[in-house]
Order: sequence, then C-alpha cells, then structure tokens
Amino acid sequence: MERRDFIRNSALASASMMVPGFLKALGRNGLYVPPTNSNGKRLVVIQLSGGNDGLNCVVPFRNDLYYQARPSLGLKDADIIKITDDVALNSNLQGLADLFNNGNMAIINSVGYPNPNRSHFRSMDIWQSASDENQYLYSGWLGRYLDATCDGTCAKPYAAIEIDDTLSLSLKGDVMKGLAFSGPGILHSSSQNPIIRGVANEYKPNNDHPEVEYLQKTLAETMESADYIYAHSKTFKSQRTYPANAFGNHLKTIAELICSGCDSSVYYISLPGFDTHVFQKGQQSKALKSLSDGVTAFCQDLKDNEKFNDTVIMTFSEFGRRVAQNASGGTDHGTANNIYVIGGKLAKPGIYNPMPDLQNLDEGDLIFNTDFRQVYATMLEKVLGVNSEKVLGKKFDLMNFV
Amino acid sequence: MASRQKKIQHLFLRAGFGETPDRIHSLLNNPIPSIVDQLFATSKDYKDIDYLPYPIPEDEEKNGIGAFKLIKMFLKSYGDMEELNGEWLFKMTYTPAVLREKMTFFWHNHFSTSTPLAYLMQVQNNTLRKNALGKFGDLLHAVAKDPAMILYLNNQQNKKAHPNENFAREVMELFTLGVGHYTENDIKESARAFTGWTVNAKGEYQFNDKQHDFDEKEFLGQKGNFNGDDILNIILSNKQVAIFITTKIYREFVNPDVNMERVEQLAESFFKSGYDISAMMRNIYMSDWFYDDENIGAKVSSPVELIVRYKKLINLDVTNKKTLVDVQKALGQVLFFPPNVAGWKGGNAWIDSSSLLLRLSIPLYIIRGEGLIIKTKPHPEENPDDTPKDADAERGKITSDWTALENTFKNLPGDKQAESMIESFIQCDDSRIDRNLIKTGWMNTDKDTLTLNIAAIMSLPEFQLI
Repeated sequence: MERRDFIRNSALASASMMVPGFLKALGRNGLYVPPTNSNGKRLVVIQLSGGNDGLNCVVPFRNDLYYQARPSLGLKDADIIKITDDVALNSNLQGLADLFNNGNMAIINSVGYPNPNRSHFRSMDIWQSASDENQYLYSGWLGRYLDATCDGTCAKPYAAIEIDDTLSLSLKGDVMKGLAFSGPGILHSSSQNPIIRGVANEYKPNNDHPEVEYLQKTLAETMESADYIYAHSKTFKSQRTYPANAFGNHLKTIAELICSGCDSSVYYISLPGFDTHVFQKGQQSKALKSLSDGVTAFCQDLKDNEKFNDTVIMTFSEFGRRVAQNASGGTDHGTANNIYVIGGKLAKPGIYNPMPDLQNLDEGDLIFNTDFRQVYATMLEKVLGVNSEKVLGKKFDLMNFV
Repeated sequence: MASRQKKIQHLFLRAGFGETPDRIHSLLNNPIPSIVDQLFATSKDYKDIDYLPYPIPEDEEKNGIGAFKLIKMFLKSYGDMEELNGEWLFKMTYTPAVLREKMTFFWHNHFSTSTPLAYLMQVQNNTLRKNALGKFGDLLHAVAKDPAMILYLNNQQNKKAHPNENFAREVMELFTLGVGHYTENDIKESARAFTGWTVNAKGEYQFNDKQHDFDEKEFLGQKGNFNGDDILNIILSNKQVAIFITTKIYREFVNPDVNMERVEQLAESFFKSGYDISAMMRNIYMSDWFYDDENIGAKVSSPVELIVRYKKLINLDVTNKKTLVDVQKALGQVLFFPPNVAGWKGGNAWIDSSSLLLRLSIPLYIIRGEGLIIKTKPHPEENPDDTPKDADAERGKITSDWTALENTFKNLPGDKQAESMIESFIQCDDSRIDRNLIKTGWMNTDKDTLTLNIAAIMSLPEFQLI
C-alpha cells in the first residue's frame, strides 16, 4: 500500500472508532445546544463585494436627473421591471421583483455613514466591524452578537456560519468567533485527521496555560461544530436550480442546512463582481442575475420546508457608486446605497423610505440619511433578540421593516 | 523550568523566525549572551529587496508621461505584489540578518500601510529595514516622508486650503502616543504642518511649498511656525511615546500579557537612549526574565511566522507563488496587505475554527503531497469570471524536503527520538502531550515513521505557540 493511501485509510478508520470524549468535557448537552436567539429566527446576510451600483438596481425611472447623469448607462424601459408608479428594478432582478410584489421584500434607500471612505478595504472594514468612520475595531458586528449571547455559557461557533474557506471580520467577536467552511463534506473530512481528532477527544480544561487552553478549546468546539454540521446537512437535499457558480452552491448549502434542521441563527455569504468601473452593464447584469436567481431558489426551498417565515435575508455592499457614469461605460466608487431585506413575514415590505435625492448631491455623490447601524440594530433586536447597544456600543434608532 | 535548548529556541523564535534543530544543537554549549551578541552582529549588514525595478522605463520618462506615471505603476502592480510577497518570505527564511528582518516585519505591522503600488511597497520595506534597529525617531521621520504612507493616509490631499487630517491623526493615535494623549485640536493644527508633503509623479517624496501652510500652529501646548518635522520632534519629546512603543514591543516579543512594571523600566532607558531600538531589544534578550517559563511558548505564531518556520524546517515551497499568498490569506495575514492602518491584532485573534483547522491540517497536506487548494475571497476589484480555475495544475502544489530533519533524529534510540523531537518543536510545557498519539495516530507499522512522527508533532495545537 502506498504511504499516502495508508494515511488516508487510517484517518477514516481511526476516526470512526473514536469516542467523542470532548463532548463530556464540554458538558452533557454539548452537542445539541438550543438556538442562541430566543425567538427561533435566523438572519442570512449576503455581502455584495466590490461596491454594488444600487442606482441601477432600484431605478427611479421617472427621474430625468437619473438619465441626465447616465446618458448611456441609465436603464430604459426594456431593461427594467416596474414595481411601483415611479420605481423599477433592474430586469435581471426578476426574482426579487416577484418577492417584492408578494410583500416579501423591503428596499431601504440611502444607507451609509458620515465622511464615507472610498477604499474597498476600509469601507468594508467599517461595514463589517460596524465602527465609526474614524474608529478601528478588531471585531465584527455578528461576532460581537455571539459575544453578547454569552451568559455563563457561550453559543457554539456554528451559531454563526459563513460558507467560505475563510471567516470574515463580520463574524469575529472579541471572545467568540463564527464558523467558516465551504461545504459540510470538506469540513467533515478535514475534521477526520486522527491527530487532530485525538487531541480534541482528550481535551480537558488546562488552567496552567491559557494559550494552550484557548487553542485546545477552540479545536474541541470546532470538532463538535463539524460533527453537528455534518449531521445537519444530510436530511434535506435541494432539488432546485441554483446559479452554477460558487455563490449558487454556497446558497444551496445554506438552504440544505436550514431545511435539515440546523439551528444556527446567522448565515453569511458573499457574492463578488460588483466593482464595475468599465463596461458595467454586462458585468453587473451577470452578478445581479446570480443574486436574484439564487435568492429565488433559496426562498422557494425555505417556503417548501416552512422555514421562510422565520428567516430574514439582508444584502449590503461596502458602498454605492457615483451618480454620474464615467467615460468607460462604468461607475466609480460612491457613497450611500440601498439595502434589500427579504423574508416571509416582514412588518413593512415595500419601498421603506424615499428614493435617493438626486438633486442634492455631495460632490456628485448620494448623501446618506440612514446609518447602516440602524439596520444592524434592528436586525439584532428584532431578528436575533439581543440588546443592540451591547453589540454596537451605542444606541441606534430601530426601524420598522421587520 | 524550561530546558536550555528551549531557551535558545525561544530566543531565535522571538528575535528571528526560528532555527533548525541542527543549528540549535550546535549552540547548546554557548552562553546566551554570546548568542545574543552574534544575533546583533549578523544583523549589521543587510541587503535591500531590489526585486522590482523602477516601473517606468527611461524613454517614457523622457517623453514626459508626467502625471500618468503613478497610474502606470498601478497597472503593473497586480502580479508584482505576489512576487514581492514571495521575495520577502524568501529573505525572512534565508537572510543571516534574522534579527533585522524580524524587526522589519514588526515595523511593517506598526506603520501599517497598504497601497496597490508594489514598487512603492518595496521602497517602504527597504526604508523600514534600514531603520529597523536604529533610532525610532529616524524611523518615524523616514516613514512620514515615505511615498506609500503619504498615499495611504491621504497626505497627498493635505493642502493648505483643505487640510486632510488622516496622517496627523494616525501618527499620534497609532504610531507614537496612543489615544488620550492629544486633543482633536492638536490633530487639526498638526495636519496643517504636514500640508504639502506629497509624492511626485516619479513616486518620490516632494515638498510642495505652494500647498504648505507656513503660518503659526499651536500643538501640544507649544506655539510656533511648525513644519511636519517639528511636529514629529515635539511628539518624540513626550516620554509617552517610549511607553507606547515599548508596550507594543513587549506584547510582540516577550508576552501578549504585558507586565507594566517591566515595560516602564524598559521605556525609561529607551527614552534616555534617544529611542535606540537596538539597545532596547538587547536589554530584552539579555534579561533573565525573558527566559522565564511564563514567556516561553506564550504567543500564537502569526501566519507569516508559521510559514517561514516551515520553510526553515522542511524547505516548504510552492511552484506558484499565489499558493503561499492564498495560505496567508486563509490564515489572516498577507504581507503588504494589513487590514487597515491599525495593523493586525495578533495573539488569539489569529485563531478561529477555520484558521485553526487549516493550521493543524497543513502537515497532513504536506506529507500527502496533495495540492493545498484554498478558495479565498476574490479581491474586491476582481471580476470573478477572470479568476483562474482550480484546474491550474501548478496552483496549490506544495513541495517539501524532510531529509535534514530525518538525519537529525534518525540515529537516536527509539525512546529518545520522540522526546528529542518534542523538545525541538514544542516550546510550551509539553508534559500533557499524548506521546502515544504521536506514535500511533497515522501509523501502525514502523515503516517511514520518522517523518510521520514529526508531522504529527507539527499537527498539535502546541506547535502553533512560540
């Protein structure tokens, strides 16, 4: 037998014989902790990376200023789906238009923060950490949500899941961190490494060495989470068609987890490709179609399994784009943007607040009127059931969309 | 108490990026002060990284492409950034001036900068290396005029008519004093002093007197027609700078759990020495307390420290430089791409479920010889359609060479072998490590056990601690 085959086989063989000793160490009910939020709701966050041009998603098709600023990029009748008397969606968002018409979607306009930063990295940092624009935080808002659930015992890492190979700052708390994996199968197989399993199985709290304790405890919780995810990924297999790309696969994974009874309260996923400086139309259309088709299939799966009413989906992007198009058939980094909230039971679906004011711009950019942390605070209080001040460091006015 | 071997390893892991067991074994009879002297002596000479040539060809310069030079630099930069990354990893691994390289790495995080202009990042890297063991004041003045820093913190937009406060704020908050030792008004006034500190079209520092505010400023209780250098000198005259920098150095080089009494002593001599970085580092490495058990293996190695350690121990290498950039990305630290101007937090913040699982799985990936394909998030400016597909045969391929380590341990008797390996690779207290797991985890025959046993030790959480 080749050595590599041997290693692979022994990995599988020994793992199946292991007694999960770390479960005892973590307490009797280690494996099946009830959901961390008291109301049984879950939040799905979709990050649109690169700076989505919100103005060509939710189109003010009766506003001349829009077409003046975007002579060739402004969307005409053939490229839009009218959803109210003066608002239309990009025609690539057919699925979202249907959700909107069914009362399952709210559009929040002009969301942002003061002195907006136009660097992808810094602005994403601000959105993910929920900091002030001149403040640097090492933790993210959903990670601090996990921290806030710690009351004697903490939630498990799988309480907040990101489908990706790496964990975003959003899900890193000061104490707790979420769990990132690109698929339950991959997570399962890397958790079968017998050395790692062995260490996790032998885990006992070590008060003599805080660093060793931290690593071993994290490992034991990771193994526990990997087992939990694997067990809750198999009962439901989606038959629907998701976009044939990473985003589609990841969204399908989330649907399968939720419908298999996984009781995580936060799911996080990214869709890239929104940095449309050049020839925006083709690139943005493709990304929006992924978003719309993916979310449509996702919502159908949730409806079929009676999970749609206790799920809230939100999108966000690090910034919107300049109102005026540039000379390359694209748009440059901008400021305030819109957020889409989707769910089976929204308190106030529809166009939540007035469309952006194209008359009064700040050097060609939209002026925000809703702090992004008002949206976060609302999600934290009304969906995740925690004190938002504890997570965001200050009080923000709550909104009424959920 | 930690053995002499672990103490010497401790010195090399903190003052450099670790050394091979053979090198450590050869030093076992040398007194620690002489090893410290040797470390400083070998870090006197150094070479710049000159991997990236100046990106604007001479003939174009003659044709006067003027303001477009920076844009041209930018367009060339994507691939260059990965090349530069690999080049620095290589230098960290093979330079004899390990102490200087480790300090350069520390200052890269302290003066956290990221611009998409690879050439300018190389220029800054050389500036940091040159001043890494000199006077902190010289380093600070040099960084304030560093083109990459000027662009990163918007000093290019800092003009007399519209001051931009970004650099003035960060120089006090993150580079010298720390929050609470200056007012918002100090920021406003000092921003005026840095007006006109710009980068010209060639990518060099240039003082633009037309944009500079020559009028009087009031800063930290003093009044005068201060320029930027005056402001930096006023900041440096405050002992708080010594405390701020020493605390950060202590956290990074001694223990993340800071002993304030020791920091104050170190800071006192740091300040008195005129901010002599070498003298302070020597103070630390020569002290007895540096080798106390509580400081050995007390720190989670950063992703870059971990990668360089692997390169030193088993010649870890890749055929496509992007692979190691991907590993850095997945573990949370990409050279030249700190998350923001505050830098990487370090310590336990490196560890989450997925990064820990990847860290502990690396030895298994290596010995299986399989590709390490990591799907990291695309760069925000990247169109996902343009990203290379996983099918790229060279992508993810890792090579390694275990011969040196096998030779080190192969002649030891069986029972001593495992203990000697643990002694070499585990810094913290190893008494709780399950020896049986190392021997039997991946094996039930005695064929080729040595490499597997070493790899098993490297899969333990304790290996992550340095």
